[in-house]
Amino acid sequence: MENSQSQTQKSKLSRRDFLKIGAATVVAGAGVSVVQSAKKPVVTQSGSLEEAIIKTTCALCPSGCGLDVRVVNGKAVKVEGNPLHPLNQGVCCLKGQTALEVLYSPERIKHPRIQTGARGSGDWKEISWDEALDLVVDKLAELREDGKSHSVALMHGELRGQMRQVVNRFMRAYGSPNVISRESLGEGTARLAMWLSQGVNTIPVYDINNANYVLTFGGNLLESSRNLIGYLSATAFMRRGRPQRGKLVAVHPRLSLTGIKADEWVPIRPGTYGALALGMASVIINSKLYDEDFVRDFTYGFEDFEDAESNSHQGFKSLVLESYTLDRVSAITGVPTDVIARVAGEFATNRPAVAVLPTEPGELSSGNALHTALAVHALNALVGSIDAQGGVILQRFPELTEWPAYALDSDARKGEKQERLDGAGTQFPLAISAYQNVPERILKGKPYPIEALFLLNDNPVYDVPNGGQSVEALMKVPFVVSFASTLDESAAHADLILPASTFMEVWGDDYLEGTGYPGISLRRPVVEPVHDTRAPGDVLLDLAQRLGGSVGKAFPWNSYKELIEDRLSTLDWEKLEANGNWSELVYFNAEPGSPAWNDVVGRDRLNAPKDGRFDFFSRELFATLAPDSDLSCLPHFEIPTTLTDSTADSIEYPFLLVTQPLITQSQQWQGIVPTLQESYGLQGNVKWDSWVEVSQKAAEALHLEDGERVWVESPINRVQATVRVYAGIWPNAVYLPPGQGHHTFVRWGRKSKENSIVGANPNMLTKFDSEPLTGLAVAGPARVRIYPV
Amino acid sequence: MLRWGMVIDLDKCFACQSCTAACRMENNTPVAGKDQADMGRAILWNEVLPFVEGEYPNVHTTILPRPCMHCDEPSCVKVCPVQATFMNEEGTVLVNYDRCIGCRMCTVACPYAVRYFNWYAPEWPDALKEHLNPDPEVAPRPKGVVEKCTFCVQRLRKAREEAEAEGRTFNATDYTPACVETCTGRARYFGDLNDPNSLVSKLSHSPRAFRMFEELGTHPKVYYLKQG
Repeated sequence: MENSQSQTQKSKLSRRDFLKIGAATVVAGAGVSVVQSAKKPVVTQSGSLEEAIIKTTCALCPSGCGLDVRVVNGKAVKVEGNPLHPLNQGVCCLKGQTALEVLYSPERIKHPRIQTGARGSGDWKEISWDEALDLVVDKLAELREDGKSHSVALMHGELRGQMRQVVNRFMRAYGSPNVISRESLGEGTARLAMWLSQGVNTIPVYDINNANYVLTFGGNLLESSRNLIGYLSATAFMRRGRPQRGKLVAVHPRLSLTGIKADEWVPIRPGTYGALALGMASVIINSKLYDEDFVRDFTYGFEDFEDAESNSHQGFKSLVLESYTLDRVSAITGVPTDVIARVAGEFATNRPAVAVLPTEPGELSSGNALHTALAVHALNALVGSIDAQGGVILQRFPELTEWPAYALDSDARKGEKQERLDGAGTQFPLAISAYQNVPERILKGKPYPIEALFLLNDNPVYDVPNGGQSVEALMKVPFVVSFASTLDESAAHADLILPASTFMEVWGDDYLEGTGYPGISLRRPVVEPVHDTRAPGDVLLDLAQRLGGSVGKAFPWNSYKELIEDRLSTLDWEKLEANGNWSELVYFNAEPGSPAWNDVVGRDRLNAPKDGRFDFFSRELFATLAPDSDLSCLPHFEIPTTLTDSTADSIEYPFLLVTQPLITQSQQWQGIVPTLQESYGLQGNVKWDSWVEVSQKAAEALHLEDGERVWVESPINRVQATVRVYAGIWPNAVYLPPGQGHHTFVRWGRKSKENSIVGANPNMLTKFDSEPLTGLAVAGPARVRIYPV
Repeated sequence: MLRWGMVIDLDKCFACQSCTAACRMENNTPVAGKDQADMGRAILWNEVLPFVEGEYPNVHTTILPRPCMHCDEPSCVKVCPVQATFMNEEGTVLVNYDRCIGCRMCTVACPYAVRYFNWYAPEWPDALKEHLNPDPEVAPRPKGVVEKCTFCVQRLRKAREEAEAEGRTFNATDYTPACVETCTGRARYFGDLNDPNSLVSKLSHSPRAFRMFEELGTHPKVYYLKQG
């Protein structure tokens, strides 16, 4: 009330003032004096406006940039980048800018609620937090008593800072192995490739600031990478910030903003990045342009070799020279031979050069994800870019207070030993998680019926719908709890929603990832909670206390804030609060062969020697699989069945559907941030809608016109979109942007309030499968056909 | 006398559209919604535009962020029948919303199409009104008036007040519009074009510098630096 009053008062003032300000020089708003600059982190009271700048950490994408939030009279009114934050150094992307539309979104769930009607019916009753938590605790205690603690599963999306361990600790202490990360859809591929070749279980970081040549295979480096702002400013620096201009080359079937802004776009047949990387390796080796010293001294399996038992094995060199000749690779990828040879030559001779792996969902999941990623990462070893300046570096982490030890009781120990719901470690021996496999396993009751499911920052019904399978799976689980902040598609099928606060209302932290050097970024409440919501961390702590016993003992903190303070007490807390972050600011590259080298190559190997050698021939794979053929341990390329053009499907569904995330969407808040909707599709000039990009050739053949509504149909489903004839797409591919088609109610638009669904969800068209061994998602490219509505 | 101007380096602009969003959040431009946006009525003072040329696979796309050019010879000012739009002493082109009669002559006359008409009274769901910038200069504009980029005049006013409060002389570098502050590629520069030593001044004389539709004689104070 008070606010709206002052609003009208101000608007009266403004019109009169405006002329004065325009005509004269300085006029302070009469009665309103704002002497506080938006740059200073101090609180003052002057006139009617109490103004402060509060530092916090963004959570709208995995980066976690520092934000300076301008708070006036208790309301957050503007977001800027925190100039003292090493990741974004004062700048802020459009997602961060629109964070206030998330905080004050009318779509937010305001109280805990329970679905009283059938699940999915939408008959909700608001209840108190006490009632809601009692319901959960009763269920968890009952299942534990019955010896079924393992039948509780938790699926999660991005977890930030200490939440990663808190979630695992909670589930382990409770007695379930089922913490299932969405990683297998996206960044899990890069992590696994790093582990199986370089021997470190981590998502790679690229030192673009110091690189001379950056070659991205798939993904969308400048729109949706995990370290977006870091890579954006590094690319700008690479261009204009130093004497020698670096070169950025983007390999992708579609010309994204990354491709547009890159120095060169290399269009490629969808799903064939691996072949191109191996073809380039072949050129580099054949021309002896690789780093011979590095390859000889610090890699394994480059040349053919004999093992300890005198069995001879094929090496990387002979494999690529024999099998990945220019002509063959060109035929597979559709990239002309001269382009392959030239880019390979440039890559090898403009060092430091780095080959970048994508982390976005769908980018590598053509059924050959692991070996594609191994092939791309092998290029980095060939040019000696392992932990070198301008190469692939590793994220280091700060030393924090040790987690207090906790004892597992017999129930927890029993639960821990059970097979995982997603089949990681059993059905998929190399998998860390196999997210997309969960719905099917739940439906089959394998390996045991699931009695309760928690969804944390996670929406499987949207992300892996699999033709309704995800909904069915949720319906089969007797008790589903969602921590959603808005009524997403999965939350709509939950029994209970424990609404999460937004990142602007809670305490928390983020590891400073994407810089290499260790650091922590602090998240703190910018405003009082807008609604009756709580942070999932606080809720888990509360649940643990209520459960008591060994679970309660594992969490000796009264609040998540206390946990954060405890964990971060090794750091300079004052600096952390004043700057919003703490970091070491220097990355020390490890010299090959030095003691530090063993931390960047081989550190996390389980069954292979930690000898500081980068594996072209993966000894970890060899030891785990004991394969018949050497090929399974070497980066190689197999044509995915969806890409072979002679199948029945390929005639009926002639196009390959590529998806590639846009900068204008934030996971978890897709579809409901109006300003992001209003700047949604830059190339297509599309706002508040989906579009399907069709090549000029295809549009002519199908007599499709720009702006026409069409069905995009795959063997399992179809969605509607508007045609955009686009020169920047592989002729045989079509592109649908992800992130639209949510069933959340979007209350925008003056005429069509009832028309609530904006755009289409491309995941509906995809059949999600899992790679054997790795459990990584196999998601296409889906085959589709297009016809007018 | 100060003369504010901007330089945008197209080589460092990555089309991230942070400027677009920052401008909206700073200046309270309303959400148009789907139907209005489809009619081309979205009000984004600082839109980023793509120009795709060529045929597959030789496609060349130019990305152009487009604020108001704050022309020294602004055609919008010339055609305004009621002198609602004007250029102030420091060269910034502004609109007096109280005088504007909504005839939209200026939106037609502006060769850069950066003047936006309020076809409806601005609307926000109640919850979203909370985040509106309370600075008086950016109070939501009423139905029927034209609005545009102001180089964030409210920030200029606050910077001057701050300098005064701290008892020092106001310096041109004290003031940055929202789009410049947030630019992720640091592609935008802002400052006093009359100061030969300012960064914008120097960059505006770069061999890469050009202005949009220079031949029209509008003399924009927004310069671009060519790509490559």
